[in-house]
Amino acid sequence: MNNRLQLVVVPATALLAACAPQGQDPRRQAGPNPWLPEPRQFLLPPMSVPKAIGWKAGESPHVPAGLKVQALATGLMHPRIVYGLPNGDILVVESNGPGTVPFRPKDYIQGPIKARGGAKAKGGNRITLLRDANGDGVPELRTVFIDHLHSPYGVVLVGDTFYVASTDALLAFPYTPGATSIPGKGLKIADLPAGPINHHWTKSLTASPDGSKLYVGVGSNSNITENGLDVEQGRAAIWEVDRATGAMRVFASGTRNPTNLAFEPTTHQLWAVVNERDEIGPDLVPDYLSSIRRGGFYGWPYSYWGQHVDVRVHPQMPNLVATAIKPDYALGSHVAALGVTFSAGQSLAPAFANGAFVGEHGSWDRWPLNGYKVVFVPFVNGHPNGMPVDVLTDFLGPDHKSVHGRPVGVALDRTGALLVADDVGNVVWRVSAAKARPTA
Amino acid sequence: MATRSQAARRRFLLHPPFVAMGGTLLIAAFFTDYNYLSSSLFQWANFSAWLITAGLVLALISAIFLFIDLLIGGAGRIRWVDFAILALAVILSIFNALVHSRDAWTSVVPDGIALSAITAILLLVAAFRGWTVTGDHLPGDGGAA
Repeated sequence: MNNRLQLVVVPATALLAACAPQGQDPRRQAGPNPWLPEPRQFLLPPMSVPKAIGWKAGESPHVPAGLKVQALATGLMHPRIVYGLPNGDILVVESNGPGTVPFRPKDYIQGPIKARGGAKAKGGNRITLLRDANGDGVPELRTVFIDHLHSPYGVVLVGDTFYVASTDALLAFPYTPGATSIPGKGLKIADLPAGPINHHWTKSLTASPDGSKLYVGVGSNSNITENGLDVEQGRAAIWEVDRATGAMRVFASGTRNPTNLAFEPTTHQLWAVVNERDEIGPDLVPDYLSSIRRGGFYGWPYSYWGQHVDVRVHPQMPNLVATAIKPDYALGSHVAALGVTFSAGQSLAPAFANGAFVGEHGSWDRWPLNGYKVVFVPFVNGHPNGMPVDVLTDFLGPDHKSVHGRPVGVALDRTGALLVADDVGNVVWRVSAAKARPTA
Repeated sequence: MATRSQAARRRFLLHPPFVAMGGTLLIAAFFTDYNYLSSSLFQWANFSAWLITAGLVLALISAIFLFIDLLIGGAGRIRWVDFAILALAVILSIFNALVHSRDAWTSVVPDGIALSAITAILLLVAAFRGWTVTGDHLPGDGGAA
């Protein structure tokens, strides 16, 4: 028995001693062919969560030369998504998860650590409307647009119908241009996977350019199937909803947490930002920005970045893994990309004319911290081309031990300014050209 | 050999019931691990995680009551072999709790269930030796009284 003991105890101790590896330079994991180290299993997976301290008056994140940043709205309740209506009104979805029952002893440890970074703050469960008619970045009007929602996230306007993806249902509200509030609970178009566990609660939403289809991103109900496969029905997938009939089907699967969706304007191709799995190392697995093919399978849970098998899943599915699509563009491990929107011309600067803005909420299980900024991924001919460029940075405090705010959803307003929801600072930031430029 | 005053010896010790309870939970974790290995049903792995955690809490309570037993006196001398068996089971279970905090299959297979098996064997030995860390003889020795 002594030998058997040694077999287990010695490697276990060695593992514990070497349990806090440093993450490598994130730039090694940006682009179409990220560096991927060997996966590791930990006794104590690294957790590094900076303390949420908010912004003092006059403080703001940093923009590169030629741009300016201002707070469009402050004092919000956990703003996650910003959305520009055609008349220039700006909607802010204030929301947080509905809470989930602790299932395992680790939930009692990880929960409070993440709460330190502001992750458990109460969401407003509402949508606020901001009207900045003269486009100076100072709204003249602020009203509650829709109230009493159940953890809303994605929103989209198609014609005269405003859709809200709350955590358990896709809702439709009648909209008239210029409306500053919509009463009522809305019409339920479809149930969305929720339930008592509801691990990844956000339901992202967009519409096809012709307005005939809606696309709903539904995250997995676990990190890597630790809550069983039964609760993953319909999850880790992007659903397509036919607006005319209400029929729903899975458009693509294996996307662990498709936190935001957007159509690329030149090719009319659906793209998503997807958050990948945790706890196999500080440099695994890169979150990604990818075009999403109809019927495509993107790996989760069985594999990542194509055919890299995840040994934590049992039973395994080699036949399915063989079909897994490699995503188009890695953003970096644990950056937690939550927002994506495509640029529309040179409203900010010529360098940002063609590509995607990505809001990176920031890592919790990696040191050095990763993400906590908004980046721009340049596109050429409808595909990413080149390294990500920093657009909005310095959300973190000195030494990265504290955090002022964390970027989430991104959108362009009518003037082409970039709006960024900050769910820890409770601010919507507006990034615009320092000198006024003619709008496209 | 019952030369030391049996009158001064307490009839009931405080720590053995807690050792027994905690030990039983840690042994049970091997069986829930085995069920997970056989079925891949995640709830068995969750049971294991809770059993190991609860077993470790009871181990801490046992240690406190062992300390109180020694403080009160009349508990007999410490039996270091039993102490070592239980201490080793606790150390392995601390590692095992960490292994079981992983997600899905590798929270149990292979490291978790291996640690559970070794812990269960150690604790079965401790059970047959009376779930106690103090005292002069094993139960069933006969003769002493």
